[in-house]
Amino acid sequence: MKSNIALFVTLFKRDWLEMVRYPFNMLSSIITLYFLFLLIFLGYRAVGGQGVNFGNTVDGITVGFMLWTFSIAAYSLLAWSLMNEAKMGTLEQLYMTSLGFDRLCVYRIICDFFLNLLFVVPILVLMMATTGRRLHIDILSLIPLFIFTLASVYGIGFISGGLGLVFKQIQSFFQILQFVFVGFIVAPVDKLPGLKLLPLSLGAKLIGKVMIYRLPITKLPPMDLLGLVLNGLFYLGIGFLIFKICERIAKQKGLLGHY
Amino acid sequence: MNREVLRVEGLSKVYPQPNRKSILAVDNIGFLIERGEIVGLLGPNGAGKTTTIKCICGLITPSSGSIFIDGIDMIHTPKFGMSKISAVLEGNRNIYWRLTPRENLAFFAGLQGISYRDAKSYIDELIELFNLTQKATTQARYLSRGMQQKLAVACALAKQTEILLLDEPTLGLDVEASHELRGLIKEMVRDNNRTVLLSSHDMQVVKDICDRVIIINNGKIVTDERVDRLSKLFETSSYRFELDSRLTQKEESEIKSNFDLANIIKMPDHTVIDIQLRSHQRLYELIDILRKNGSKVDSITHREPDFEEIFLKIVKGK
Ligand SMILES: Nc1ncnc2c1ncn2[C@@H]1O[C@H](COP(=O)(O)OP(=O)(O)OP(=O)(O)O)[C@@H](O)[C@H]1O
Ligand SMILES: [Mg+2]
Repeated sequence: MKSNIALFVTLFKRDWLEMVRYPFNMLSSIITLYFLFLLIFLGYRAVGGQGVNFGNTVDGITVGFMLWTFSIAAYSLLAWSLMNEAKMGTLEQLYMTSLGFDRLCVYRIICDFFLNLLFVVPILVLMMATTGRRLHIDILSLIPLFIFTLASVYGIGFISGGLGLVFKQIQSFFQILQFVFVGFIVAPVDKLPGLKLLPLSLGAKLIGKVMIYRLPITKLPPMDLLGLVLNGLFYLGIGFLIFKICERIAKQKGLLGHY
Repeated sequence: MNREVLRVEGLSKVYPQPNRKSILAVDNIGFLIERGEIVGLLGPNGAGKTTTIKCICGLITPSSGSIFIDGIDMIHTPKFGMSKISAVLEGNRNIYWRLTPRENLAFFAGLQGISYRDAKSYIDELIELFNLTQKATTQARYLSRGMQQKLAVACALAKQTEILLLDEPTLGLDVEASHELRGLIKEMVRDNNRTVLLSSHDMQVVKDICDRVIIINNGKIVTDERVDRLSKLFETSSYRFELDSRLTQKEESEIKSNFDLANIIKMPDHTVIDIQLRSHQRLYELIDILRKNGSKVDSITHREPDFEEIFLKIVKGK
């Protein structure tokens, strides 16, 4: 137990240090993303979004954008950081932890989830200030929804990270994948319930219900909640499995420490 | 307590190559290392040193063979063995460049589940010993290469494991930095009774640090011998005798019949004898021959056995 805490604290400290030591990285990402949002928002207003649903649509865009920001931040941990460490030569050291690399991954995801909030919250505040609309922030309802929604993203991150270890040239594909997330987030799950099987889609809808329509988690359809949990666990599970297969291949080919 | 701490048996590694002949990087290697030993893994580029070390670290899956660390099967249960080993694998590459030496040391201790509070006094000690005090709060990327490599070794030590695997720890360092690092490795190991397996293609490094050397070439072990005995085994120490007179016929024939490797150079007013001796004892035999005739020896010069020559001799099949 003591050593688990030590490992967790160690990983958190490292991520924290890199974050505060390079505030420019974070600031520039926040600013870039904010301007992207501004562009979408102003564009939408210009093409005549003054109709009856104006407010709700803007809120929808805000929530969707925030979720997308959170998703790409989560995704980059496994898809980028992992490969970066392979490149730097530190991944092999992570593999040599006596507490096991799998556990280390779990701890890093947890650290990452909280640290990403430091990045997502300012963007959300900026967006709300811009649109002049207040979204409902019901922390107790949102935390579980975010956890299971992002679980599917971490799953995809594991798949990408694993493939990246084995096929080093795959990185540009990852960049494209980040934009596919937008598609997942805006998928019309009400009209086509089958789309609930996609990662992110069902979660995006439920988070919208809490933040825009002010429903507490207890008022959400139980089947949807169950679906979200299963969806998150499914993608995370599959992702981890594929990662382990890739890891095995990488160990066979001696690729853990290669560029 | 069991003296054996690392056992490698029948270790082979084949790297399959797409559309090409697969590479047999390690070919049926086996050795045993006892607690407290410092063993060098010596071989030219591509001999299979890194592959062997990474197999021991559980980072590369061997094609066949077994590895036991303190009795723990590293191939089937690598996680359990990780509490006993630490490694420096890529010279200066396996530290975090954006963290300071102190933060790096704390990170590596933490990887092993050692909290900063428990590790702090040892980290202080390492910083002091490795002469990093002045740079303790500078990010590692601003350190010189020598310092980075020292830090990498210190980080491995910070994990406080019994076994230390060092892959080319002094590669790319200048003479001075290399000497300093070698000294530190020796000191750390002797003081803390650690066991070390160190790879290098530089015989000087191995000769300097190690008690025992395993020489590999083309993935195979060529020799596994104590360093001092290895030098002795090939102790074709050369001596040069200079005499201020000519040798008598008798002397000359006596020397030639006793020392088939002798080379006698006759000058008008003096004589030079170049001779290769396998043991120091034979030196006195030669001197005895010269004494009988009262020849005056001007000088005797001795050349140390050259580790490099020994290495090449062994690698090229003696
Ligand atoms: N990941 C890999 N995939 C394919 N072949 C490899 C891989 N790693 C090493 N090899 C090959 O295996 C052989 C042994 O390599 P290895 O790196 O173990 O040698 P080494 O003794 O460490 O050499 P060096 O002194 O150059 O570091 C070489 O022929 C090398 O090209
Ligand atoms: Mg090597």
